[in-house]
Amino acid sequence: MRRLGRGLPWLLLLLASLAPLLVEGTYFRYLGIIVFIYGIVAVGLNVLAGYAGQFSLGHAALMAMGAYSTAILSKALAPLPFFAATGLHIWLGIVLGTCVAAAFGALLAFPALRVRGPYLAMVTIAFGWVIFKILQEWVSVTGGDLGLASIPKAQIGPWELSTREYYYVVLAFFALSLVLQRRIVESPFGMRLRAMKHSEIGIASVGINVYRLKVTVFIVSAAFAGFGGALFAHQQNYVSPDNFQFFSSVFFLLAILFGGAGTLSGPVIGAAVLTLLPEFLHDFDKYRLIVYGSFILLTLYFLPNGVMGMFRRPQGRATPKIDAEPAQDASRDMAASRGASLELRAISRTFGGVAAVREASFKIEAGAVHALIGPNGAGKTTIINLITGFYRASSGEILLDGAPLNVSSMDGAARLGIARTFQTIKLFGEMTVLEHVLVGVSSSSRAGFWSALLSGGRGGPKQDGDIATARELIRCVGLGGYEEVPASTLAYGHRRLLEIARALAVKPRVLLLDEPAAGLVAEEIAALGAVIRRLKNTGMTIVLVEHHMDLVIKVSDRITVVDHGTVIAEGSPADVQRDARVVAAYLGPSHVAA
Amino acid sequence: MSFFLQIAASGIATGAIYGLIAVGYSLTFTTTKVLNFALGMWVMLGGMITYSLVVQHHVPALIVLPLVMAALFLLGVVAERFTVLPFLRAGSDVWVMTTLGVGLLMIDFAEIIWGRSPTPVPSFLGNRPVVIGPLSLLPQQIFIIAVACVVFVALDYFYRRTLTGKAFRAVAHSGEVSSLMGINTRWVQRTSYAAAAALAGLAGFMVVPLTLAEPQLGTVLGLKAFAIAIIAGLGAPRGILICGLVYGALEALISGYLYTGVRDILGFSLMILALFLKPEGIFGKPIEERA
Repeated sequence: MRRLGRGLPWLLLLLASLAPLLVEGTYFRYLGIIVFIYGIVAVGLNVLAGYAGQFSLGHAALMAMGAYSTAILSKALAPLPFFAATGLHIWLGIVLGTCVAAAFGALLAFPALRVRGPYLAMVTIAFGWVIFKILQEWVSVTGGDLGLASIPKAQIGPWELSTREYYYVVLAFFALSLVLQRRIVESPFGMRLRAMKHSEIGIASVGINVYRLKVTVFIVSAAFAGFGGALFAHQQNYVSPDNFQFFSSVFFLLAILFGGAGTLSGPVIGAAVLTLLPEFLHDFDKYRLIVYGSFILLTLYFLPNGVMGMFRRPQGRATPKIDAEPAQDASRDMAASRGASLELRAISRTFGGVAAVREASFKIEAGAVHALIGPNGAGKTTIINLITGFYRASSGEILLDGAPLNVSSMDGAARLGIARTFQTIKLFGEMTVLEHVLVGVSSSSRAGFWSALLSGGRGGPKQDGDIATARELIRCVGLGGYEEVPASTLAYGHRRLLEIARALAVKPRVLLLDEPAAGLVAEEIAALGAVIRRLKNTGMTIVLVEHHMDLVIKVSDRITVVDHGTVIAEGSPADVQRDARVVAAYLGPSHVAA
Repeated sequence: MSFFLQIAASGIATGAIYGLIAVGYSLTFTTTKVLNFALGMWVMLGGMITYSLVVQHHVPALIVLPLVMAALFLLGVVAERFTVLPFLRAGSDVWVMTTLGVGLLMIDFAEIIWGRSPTPVPSFLGNRPVVIGPLSLLPQQIFIIAVACVVFVALDYFYRRTLTGKAFRAVAHSGEVSSLMGINTRWVQRTSYAAAAALAGLAGFMVVPLTLAEPQLGTVLGLKAFAIAIIAGLGAPRGILICGLVYGALEALISGYLYTGVRDILGFSLMILALFLKPEGIFGKPIEERA
């Protein structure tokens, strides 16, 4: 089934390329061109919405940017003899259109992507409306409601392309955009997108700047839309605001949802079916919105993963081959360098009027396992959030290896070698164990969008090295054999270990574990203890927030006890166990005397 | 100066409508993080039903009003059950599309039932302008401003003083904990969605005498209201009223002094800018994320 899902788009493309030979008629070719162009826009939207999880309902406006740009430029240049002879004005126009759309995508992305989900969708609607209005009102440039007519036909050299020839040109571009889509999705860049869709906090914890990632993917997606729009302008030879109404944006989103958002061939199916459907329903033109409205509801109700979603691999629990013993030497080259020391100096953080952490000061030695304990609500997680840059301290400072630590984001902290896990697990849905760790490993390589295009997805010596590293880390936490298992099917204890493996991927000098044993059974806790000791042997500094005292006593070198946001005791495990204030904080003052 | 005041005052009446719709977004968003993306179409439906009853069937306006609100409330309950709840349960965001899908259906059905051409609807308060100092306002405009103020005061009282209102705010904070505390979370979710629909109906009822009744009436209204809700902050009903009134006044002034064509361009650009500078809104509290 999965094979079929992969091969289907190519089969369809092959059919499409033969079609003009088999069927006569310009109208048919015209329809084909429209399917391909909408397909190109849908591919761009699929990368954005399907893979990265960022809904846009403004893609028609971005498409308009591409169409109008090329229309204006190519019309202006067409009379010049040089361009008439070379046809360059068309291709310059298409390039310009793509760039202008990308630029407007950036302009929109910077403000819009500070918010997420439904907010973003609504903002993109407003953007689409603004563009639509500008096209209507700026008559001197856009021609207003009448639009721009007599846009030059596409030509190669001095030869003007017939509809049939243009059909093949656009088909080739469509195939190219499918190849690009695959490259993007299978590259480290694409892996980040998929991870971000599931957990923005999780992806930030491995050192990736979520905002920048979102802006990049939005620009890429806008470029696809602009490119499609430019091709559209040279097909129609006429553009008007009506071509780019809000409704078209809904159409594109519907196309990928119907085809299968986040599948490689979803946009192909979606664009084809939704473009051709109204042609077969000619008499229903009056009821177009009803047809599309019902289509939306029925699709989302009965085909939540779209047509291509049905071909996805079944989500059963895999039965992996388990390595009996985790490789002892796997952790050897894991720590980038020696662990770093941390010092908190009178650090405070208030929320509203409530002080979650008050003037907390303590030092964590390099290479030590330092436990942070205290009753629920004592401020332990807040301290971790402060160290990892998730919160800004209200006052006080933190020193990393003696130098002031100045980070304002979790990804910034991760890049400085401060990694963490989470009390409530933040994994990337059905991505595999290997992919989880790989996201972290490749985050340091700055493998961005361009290298995704150039290196061509999977493979390459760099990525082979990353995969080897990731496998080693997975073995190190005792998950060897589970590499290809989707994280969503892992047992709870294994998910906790996977979070540790992911954190290790950024080569941390300090690793902060936020209640790693919560919800684990006795054997799992024992295994976790072994992992912590193994990590300590690499020289890494480990900060452990935990309630399971037996684990804490067993693995910790030092323990700091916090209550009500302040440090109430500190010392070796033996000292702390005897401390009266600690007993009082945990069991109530009445137990102290006894 | 009197031209200025005159324009600003009638703009404020329009702004009150925006505020009423915008607070509908706030109602559902604060309780469930859900937004009815087609709220403008619900306003249109309210307006078209008003048109149908008042103009075609000669029903007295004061009977039409509760009818419209009740109808939209019930429709809201049904729509929430079938187009929001299933996706809310699955933890997915696709209700963005389903609520929009409902809106598309509404537009087409409205066109089939009532036709596409815009039709005037007389105000039940008559058309004789009321002169207050330098201003001359339509009775309908004064009515709108008064109703909006009453609704907002009532809402404020509801949120802050009544137990049910506190329950709404609790659900907004954490649905899970609220249900542990014995609050019927489902009831709150359903009611807030339906109440937003009813408010949209009220807005539709009040707006058609000023504009015209037509199936395309709501699309832009809904968008503008959303812009206002964002600029003010979705969690701040009082701020939404203030922003709505100011937005309405500014918009009227732009049309009066500049040119109607640039009105919406400026308005929506302002929203995008506001988001950039203050994502949580002017009156909103910063959103604290949790790790």
